[in-house]
Amino acid sequence: MANGYAGKILKVNLTKKEISVIDTAKYAEFGGGVGMGAAIFWDIAVVPGDWDMQDAFDPRNVISLMTGPLAATGVPGAGRTSVCAIASETYPTPLFHRTSFGGRFATMLKLAGWDGVVVHGKAAAPVWINIINDKVVIEDGSKLWGLDTYEAQDQITSAVSGRTRFGQQWQEIGNEYTTLMPQIVCIGPVGESMTKVAALIHGSGVSARTGGFGGVFGSKNLKAISVIGTGGVQVADPAGLVDTRLWHTRNFPKITLAQPGASACMTCLNNDRRRNSYYGGEAMCADEYWYMGKQEPGSFSSRDPEALMRGASIAIKWGICSWATKFGGAITLPVPDAPKAYKGMVPMEPGIGWYIKYLYEIGELGPGKKIDSYPLPMDQWDTLKFRETFCDAIARRIGIGADLANGYLEAAEKWGRLEEDMNNGTIRLPAWGASWHHTLPGVDWAYSYIMMSGDPVWHGFFGLTGGGGFGGPATYTAEELVNMMAKKVIPFDNDPIIFSNTWKGDEAFKTGIYSPYKAKMFAWARRFAGFYNESMSFCEMLLPVFMGSGPGNLAGPSPELEYRYYKAVTGSKESFADTMETGRKIWNMERAIRVMAGRHRDQEKFAPFMHMPGATFPISGPKPVYLNGKWSFESHNDLYLDREGVEQFKTNFYKLEGWDTKTGWPTKKTLEKLGMKNVADLMKSKGKLGA
Amino acid sequence: MAESEKPRDKVKEIGRREFLVGSGAVIAAGALAAGIPGTTEAAASSITYPKSEGYIVYDSRLCLGCQSCMFACALTHEGVANPSLSRIQIIRDAPSFTKYPYDVVMSVCRQCVSPLCVQVCPTGACHVDEANGNIRRIDQKKCIGCKKCIQACPQDPHKTIWNPVIKKSAKCDLCEGAPYWNEKGGPKGKQACVETCPVKALKLVTEAPSQTDINGYDLNLAPPPPKAKPQGFVLPKQATDKAAEKGGN
Repeated sequence: MANGYAGKILKVNLTKKEISVIDTAKYAEFGGGVGMGAAIFWDIAVVPGDWDMQDAFDPRNVISLMTGPLAATGVPGAGRTSVCAIASETYPTPLFHRTSFGGRFATMLKLAGWDGVVVHGKAAAPVWINIINDKVVIEDGSKLWGLDTYEAQDQITSAVSGRTRFGQQWQEIGNEYTTLMPQIVCIGPVGESMTKVAALIHGSGVSARTGGFGGVFGSKNLKAISVIGTGGVQVADPAGLVDTRLWHTRNFPKITLAQPGASACMTCLNNDRRRNSYYGGEAMCADEYWYMGKQEPGSFSSRDPEALMRGASIAIKWGICSWATKFGGAITLPVPDAPKAYKGMVPMEPGIGWYIKYLYEIGELGPGKKIDSYPLPMDQWDTLKFRETFCDAIARRIGIGADLANGYLEAAEKWGRLEEDMNNGTIRLPAWGASWHHTLPGVDWAYSYIMMSGDPVWHGFFGLTGGGGFGGPATYTAEELVNMMAKKVIPFDNDPIIFSNTWKGDEAFKTGIYSPYKAKMFAWARRFAGFYNESMSFCEMLLPVFMGSGPGNLAGPSPELEYRYYKAVTGSKESFADTMETGRKIWNMERAIRVMAGRHRDQEKFAPFMHMPGATFPISGPKPVYLNGKWSFESHNDLYLDREGVEQFKTNFYKLEGWDTKTGWPTKKTLEKLGMKNVADLMKSKGKLGA
Repeated sequence: MAESEKPRDKVKEIGRREFLVGSGAVIAAGALAAGIPGTTEAAASSITYPKSEGYIVYDSRLCLGCQSCMFACALTHEGVANPSLSRIQIIRDAPSFTKYPYDVVMSVCRQCVSPLCVQVCPTGACHVDEANGNIRRIDQKKCIGCKKCIQACPQDPHKTIWNPVIKKSAKCDLCEGAPYWNEKGGPKGKQACVETCPVKALKLVTEAPSQTDINGYDLNLAPPPPKAKPQGFVLPKQATDKAAEKGGN
C-alpha cells in the first residue's frame, strides 16, 4: 500500500497454529488503529454469529494490536499501539473496549512490515509470537510462563538478538541490518492467571492498563509478542513531512514537544518517556502513582519519587492494571460534599487498593473479619511490601486475592457491599466498572464513559477553562475562548454554544450540558479521537493541543497539525471534514459491535454517585458558560448530573448520530450512508437495527 | 512455518571482525583496534586531509532517545522512513532496563580529521568534498559496494552504513545536497537531525572536537538549569484554596 502503510496485517490463530496475512487495503476505509481493529473484530468475531461475546476469555475473542499509518515515520507521538477486543475488566459484563500503549512496539511492527497483529484462538500450552521481519514463529513459551514482565522480556531479547552488544554492533537479519533491539509486549503473572485486572506490558514502564487485556493474553496462553524489523515505511511526501516537522518544531515547541532537560512524563515524542527514571529508560507515566503511600493533599511531585517509581516497577513486573487497582490517585484533594467514606479527602482515582483500606478502617475487612484479608498485611498498607503481597495474592488467587482477581465490583458484590457502596458514593466508578479519571466536570469525558465502555482517556477538551487546572490564570475571556474553538470543530464549526457548560436550570437543557449543542461537542470529540488519536495513533497526551502558549496566542496548532502530518504521510486528498467522517464511521463500527454484544440505551447509565453532590473532582479550572446571552467562566467544582438531563442528552445525541432514540442502535440509513451496508444487513438479521 | 525454529540460529551478530573476514578485505592491523582514536591517527598519519568545516557534536545525557533525528535523516536522504538507512543511529537499550545515562548510545559520524573511510576507498567515492566545506561524503555513483569504508570506520558501531537495497555505502554529509531536504545543507547550512531534535541534543560546530578523546564529541549541551519550580503536574491552587475555604466536606 505504501503511503504510511506496511500493506499487511498479521493474523495468528493459536488454536490451529495458523499464521496468515490480511491485506491492509481491505480495511483502508477505517484508517488504521482502532478503526481497522474494530472492523477486523467485526469480520472475525461477529460475522460468524456463533459467539455471544459475553466472555472475554473465550478463545473466540479476537485481540488486535494495530498501528496507524503515521507510526514509524518520525511523526511525533504517532507511534502508539491500539488494542481492542472484548475486555474482561468491565462490569457487569465484558464489553468491546479499546485501549492503547506507547513505547516502540508499533514503530518496530511497521519496520518489520506489519500494520498490526491480530490474535485469536487459544494455544494448547504457553507460547510467544516471534516476529522477525516477514518471518513469524509461534514459539514455545513454557519457560517464560511464571516469569515477571522484566524477566520475560530479558529472555526474549536474548533469544532474538543473541549476543549482539547493545550500542556497539549492527545486527544482521537476513541481508539487512539494524542497531535497534526487539520490542516486546507481554504479560506478567497477574495476566497468566486470567484475572480481570491484568495489563499488557511493554518495556520497563509502558502499559495498556485499561480493559484487563492482560487476562485476554493469559486466556490464550500467549505470554508475549516480540518484533524486530529492518525495513522502512514509504511516505507520500518525504520532504513535506520533514517540512511539517520543522513547522511544528519552530512554531509550537513549548506546548507540543519535549523540552531540553524536561523530566515530566509528558516529554513523549515518538512515544518516548523521560529517561532518568528509577528503573531504566522509560518512566512509568500513570503507573507511577499506583503506589501512593500517603493520602494527603498535594501533587504527586510532592511525594517521594523513588518510592513512586519502585511501586510502579512492582505493578509493571507483575503486569497488573495500575488504574483499576490504585491505592489512591495522582492527586488527593478536599472535595465539597464528598461521600462520608472519604472524610472530605478524595483521591482522584480510588481503586481497589483504596477500597480495601476503607473496609479495613470501618472494621469490615481484616484478619478474621467478615471479609478476611489474608494474606494481605493490612497494618502495612502504606508499604511497598504490601504492594508486592497484593499482586502475588491476586496472581495466585490466594485468600482475598481470589476475590480481587475477579474485579473491583465483582469483589464488592461477593462481599454483599455493592449496592450500598454504589448508592452512597463510596465506590467512585462512573460507569461499566471503569475507574474514575477526569470524568467530571468535563461532561464530554463523562458521556464517553456511558456511550463507550468506560474511560475514554481523551484529554482534548480538558484544558478549555479559564485558567486554573493544569494552567495559569486566564489571559482571555470566555467568549474569546469559545470563538477560537468554534473555528476548529469542523463540521460543527461556527457555533460556539457547543462549548457552553451551563448545568443548572432550563438553560442546561436549552444550551448547556444536556442540550443538542453539547451533543455536537461530544460527537466531535468522539470522531476526532476515533480517527486521529485511536486510529492515526497520536498520543492523546501530546495532541490535540487546541490552546496556544500564552497571551495573544490563544489558538493552538490542533487540529491543523495532525491533519498536516496525515496528508504528508498518506498523500490523502481528503479534506479535514472527510477525516472526521471517517472518525464517525469508526465510531459507528464500534457501536455496531457493542449493539451486537447486547448494548441498549437502557444500559447507558451512570453510577448513582454521578447524580449526587460531590461527584466532581475539583481539578479543572472554571468552565465557559453561556447564560442570558453572555459568556463567562464559572467554577464547576460542585457539578453533578441530573438524571432526566442525561436521558435528554442521550436522545439528543442519538438523534444527531442517526441512531434510534429508543434503543440507541444505528439505523439502516445511517450505516448505509457510511458505506456499511454489510453491517446494517447483519444487524437487521439479528433484530439489532435501529428503527 | 516451523514452530520450534529458534530465532537465534537465524539471526547472527555482525561485528567488525566478521565484516573483514567475510569480505576478505585487508586493513592495517592498527585500524582493527577499533574505537581508539589514537590508533586511527597513527594509521592515517601518512596522509593529511583538509579539515571539515562542520562537525555534529551531541549530548548523550540530554538525548531522549526519540530517534527523530534518525527518521529525519532517512527521510531527507532516502525518501523513506527507514532507521536502518539513517546516517545517525540513536541506540536505546531494549526493553530499556539499563539505567540512565547508559541506556542510550548516540552514534554520530565524526567527520574525522583523518578519515579512514576516505583513505581506504578504492574508487574515490568516499572523498573529501572541497567544494562544500571539506565534508567527508560518499558519491554513490562511484561506490562499488566493497564495504571497505564500513570496515575501516574506527567507531563501534561503524558510522558508515550499508544500504542493502542498492548495495552501496552511505555516510553523513551534513545534509549537503540531501534530495528531500528543502533547506540548505552542509557546514554553512542546516542539518535535518539537528533541526528536528526537540531537546537540542545535537549541534553543528565548526571547530574539530578532540580526536584523541573517545568522548570528544559528547559534550554538555544542556541549557542553564531553570529556576526552581515543581516538576510534574502542579495542583490547581485556585481549586485547592476554594475547597479548603469550604472546609472539605
